[in-house]
Amino acid sequence: MSKVVNRAGSPYLERNKSFGRWYRKNYIGWLFILLAVAGISLFYFYPMGRALLLSFQSGMGSNLEYVGLNNYIRLFSDPTFIAALTNTFIYLLIQVPIMILLALFFSVLLNDATLKFKGFFRTAIFLPCVTSLVAYAVIFKYLFGVDGLINQFLMDLSLISQPLNWLSDPVLAKITIIAAITWRWTGYNMIFYLSALQNIDRSMYEAARIDGATSFQQFFYITVPMLKPIILFTSIISTIGTLQIFDEIMNITNGGPGNATLSISMYIYNLSFEYSPDFGYAATVSYVIVILVVILSLIQFKVAGDDK
Amino acid sequence: MEDFRFKKSWLSALVLLTFLVLAACSSDEEGGASEEGEAAEDPDTITAWAWDPNFNIAALETAKESYDGDVELDVIENAQDDIVSKLNTGLSSGTMKGMPNIVLIEDQRAQSFLQSYPEAFFPIDDYINPEDFASYKLAPTSLDDKQYGLPFDTGVTGLFFRTDYLEEAGYTMEDLTDITWEEYIEIGQDVKETTGKDMISLDPNDLGLIRVMIQSAGAWYVDEEGTNVNIEGNEPLRKAFENYKAMMEADFVKANSDWSQFIASFNSGDVATVPSGNWIGASIEAEESQAGDWAVAPIPRLDMEGAVNASNQGGSSFYVLNVPGKEKAAEFLGQTFGENEEFYQDLVNDVGAIGTYTPASDGEAYQTENEFFGGQSLISDFSTWVEDIPSVNYGMHTYSIEDILAAEMQNYLKGKSLDDAFADAQAQAEAQLK
Amino acid sequence: MRKLKRIGVYTFLSIAALVSIFPFLWMLVSMTNKSVDVTQGRLLPGGHLFENVRVLFESVSMVTALVNSTIIAVITTFLTLLIGSLAGYGFEIYRTPGRDRIFNILLLSMMIPFAAIMVPLYRMFGGVSASIPFLGIDTLAAAILPTVITAFFIFFFRQNTKMFAKELVEAGRIDGLSELGIFFRIYLPTMKTAYAAAAIIAFMNSWNNYLWPLVVLQSPENQTIPLLISNLGAGYSPDYGVIMTAIVIATLPTALVFFIMQRHFVAGMMGSVKG
Repeated sequence: MSKVVNRAGSPYLERNKSFGRWYRKNYIGWLFILLAVAGISLFYFYPMGRALLLSFQSGMGSNLEYVGLNNYIRLFSDPTFIAALTNTFIYLLIQVPIMILLALFFSVLLNDATLKFKGFFRTAIFLPCVTSLVAYAVIFKYLFGVDGLINQFLMDLSLISQPLNWLSDPVLAKITIIAAITWRWTGYNMIFYLSALQNIDRSMYEAARIDGATSFQQFFYITVPMLKPIILFTSIISTIGTLQIFDEIMNITNGGPGNATLSISMYIYNLSFEYSPDFGYAATVSYVIVILVVILSLIQFKVAGDDK
Repeated sequence: MEDFRFKKSWLSALVLLTFLVLAACSSDEEGGASEEGEAAEDPDTITAWAWDPNFNIAALETAKESYDGDVELDVIENAQDDIVSKLNTGLSSGTMKGMPNIVLIEDQRAQSFLQSYPEAFFPIDDYINPEDFASYKLAPTSLDDKQYGLPFDTGVTGLFFRTDYLEEAGYTMEDLTDITWEEYIEIGQDVKETTGKDMISLDPNDLGLIRVMIQSAGAWYVDEEGTNVNIEGNEPLRKAFENYKAMMEADFVKANSDWSQFIASFNSGDVATVPSGNWIGASIEAEESQAGDWAVAPIPRLDMEGAVNASNQGGSSFYVLNVPGKEKAAEFLGQTFGENEEFYQDLVNDVGAIGTYTPASDGEAYQTENEFFGGQSLISDFSTWVEDIPSVNYGMHTYSIEDILAAEMQNYLKGKSLDDAFADAQAQAEAQLK
Repeated sequence: MRKLKRIGVYTFLSIAALVSIFPFLWMLVSMTNKSVDVTQGRLLPGGHLFENVRVLFESVSMVTALVNSTIIAVITTFLTLLIGSLAGYGFEIYRTPGRDRIFNILLLSMMIPFAAIMVPLYRMFGGVSASIPFLGIDTLAAAILPTVITAFFIFFFRQNTKMFAKELVEAGRIDGLSELGIFFRIYLPTMKTAYAAAAIIAFMNSWNNYLWPLVVLQSPENQTIPLLISNLGAGYSPDYGVIMTAIVIATLPTALVFFIMQRHFVAGMMGSVKG
């Protein structure tokens, strides 16, 4: 195991070798990342800088003027923003862990060499994230409608006596959204795990089996530690994705009932396009997401104990 | 060998990078200036953005045929929300690059665009006579005494109803004509009792019907200036909310959460009435098996002084953008939608669109009887009601106020007092719009 | 006991698969039905398929949109994988504190909602339009460029490189390969599954990308599939049968890419490569 993890090209050791070689490596390292750094600076950081400037301005459309920190102060007394923030955190705390565990579970099941119809199961579980949003929004609204299939099913099982108003009850609408996000993105996360599982040496499992480890133990003592970089990756990606959640809400509940399912991104969209456009305040709300993600990512890196 | 290849690929990467950086730098310098620079040339082709191939796009195509000026019109289809996003992005970037000559904007959004981007639109007073159009269309389409929009379709509302269901419950066309919403609710209860059918399908997240109700009494979410939030002490709005709650509690509402479910509610024969803008007619006619079962009565009114049995839902107008070709675009609109009565007859016959150009309503096409609606002269009825629609200033915050009201509507339905709900909504809207 | 577990696994997977593909099956059924039946949630196939297909291809330029979307998605996928994996590899193999810091800064770019940077980005391309026409507003290049270099894929490849056996790099150096040679001859073939996963995601993101193509592409010749589908639902009385037909056609390419790429996920393949 240590052999696999050992990093020959490891970071800071390089300097101990001859300066010439270090210089060459360092220089080549820059070349490898040059294009990416330039592209991201140009297409992300430059516009982000402009957006930061915008966040200190306010006004409708092109009638913008500098208002200092007013937008940031306005956030704290904006009940719509607070509702959006709360909803987004509810999605985050409930949905991301469920999805990550489910995706890991699926990928381990589907990585079994003796399983039949693997290709079919993999494709089926992945399919939701390629299915067009328009289609799945229509069908989710239909399934969760008052006389939709979900209610019929629950009533047949006698779990409920009256049809539930999934989309117009604040709590049920949130559950519907969480179900929709999980349905759509579990297969997506699964393929990261599936691809990463290929990099785990089979012999480790064989050795573990000979030592009498159960599949449960194999999962927690081999699979999870080996997949740590990818688990960290997917949980950060999912955190970012959920904090920016927009499509599902826009298409399934449109933020309603009232603003019970409104998310931060949906609010940004409304501020920019649905209402009289205030790009300044919209940029301010965007930067709140940036700040939140930075904090959460730092926590996730710390918890996962990234190797330094 | 390896080293040589290595160098070559890095070299090409560097070239690409330099190119990207150059592109970015040049963008910054020219960002603001380009709009002036390009204004010199006058194009032969003008473009227009609209959203419904069977309706407003078809109307533009018909206009193109009837126009004999020397200009090529290119109509581009975009969904309405997409047009809003594209316009906002394009206009606020200040480059005007990629923007069309003519764009269709919904009346309730128009002020927001006109005021947000003051330089972006081209006034068309010289090309049309605003007085030729239904008066309620003028307030939303003009700003500072300048006419920017060419009023297109009316969103005049009607009460579409199933004659067979209503008859079974003992009601005729006459009983539904010029009624109040309170009477409508009573009828609804009878219909539910006798036929078992729901009276109406509503989306609890969509306050469209509230807007229909308050405009029939000449009121809106904002005052006459269009700037001050008018929720607390707004009598029509209070009545509308009360009616809405009464409907929800009357147990004859089929809930929908989606446009397709809304359409299904009447195509399937589940509901007895559809109070809506006239444009819903096409969707009702789509279910051919129900031909002859439908008729349209005037929309119910609020039970109060000054309320009329006419209102508006939706409706849009054409705007000319301040880009090269604007004169040609304005001329085109002026000579078709702005004055051609003949063209309006084609519009009714071929497209089924009812314009708001008043001189056209005496034309022959307006008298046509509609077989699907039991031989009713639908267009003629609608254009009579158009004249009664009270004019209101929509202001520029309809949708942001409506989102706040939708949240309070939920609270009201759950038992919050209307006074508290309105007070909270008023405070929140004022805070947001200051 | 073992057998019981097996049955449990198959039952569980079958239920999951059914739940996952149900909307897809419904789409397939719906494309054979009339609009009125689709809105009422009809679950049985009808006889309206050819009519829907005919209306779709006659009323909108489906072929143009398919071609545009394919061009954009293929180029985007190729460039994304190349640039992303070069950088991800570079950051991990040639690790220095300075570059680690840059990496962390790059990650920041994932965190801002796209709507917030859209207007400045549009302004940028609007400015280029005059001097470099093939890169300006309303060109496929403008739709592609801002999407090919993303921190997401750099991050993805870096995390995967962490699981890559670094002795192979040293072995390559001893064999006299150049640094880039090591990347292309050793890393790339070894990381096939990572590339397969990345290709699926990149293709899918590009194929479904909506907001940026929407604002930057104006003319009908440049329309992409998601914009076309959005237009289909635009009118006051949309034809849901036709929309479902368009959606099924639009979904097939990504499903196909997934199906082709996923064979790289076959268990045990990597073991032999690593030797």
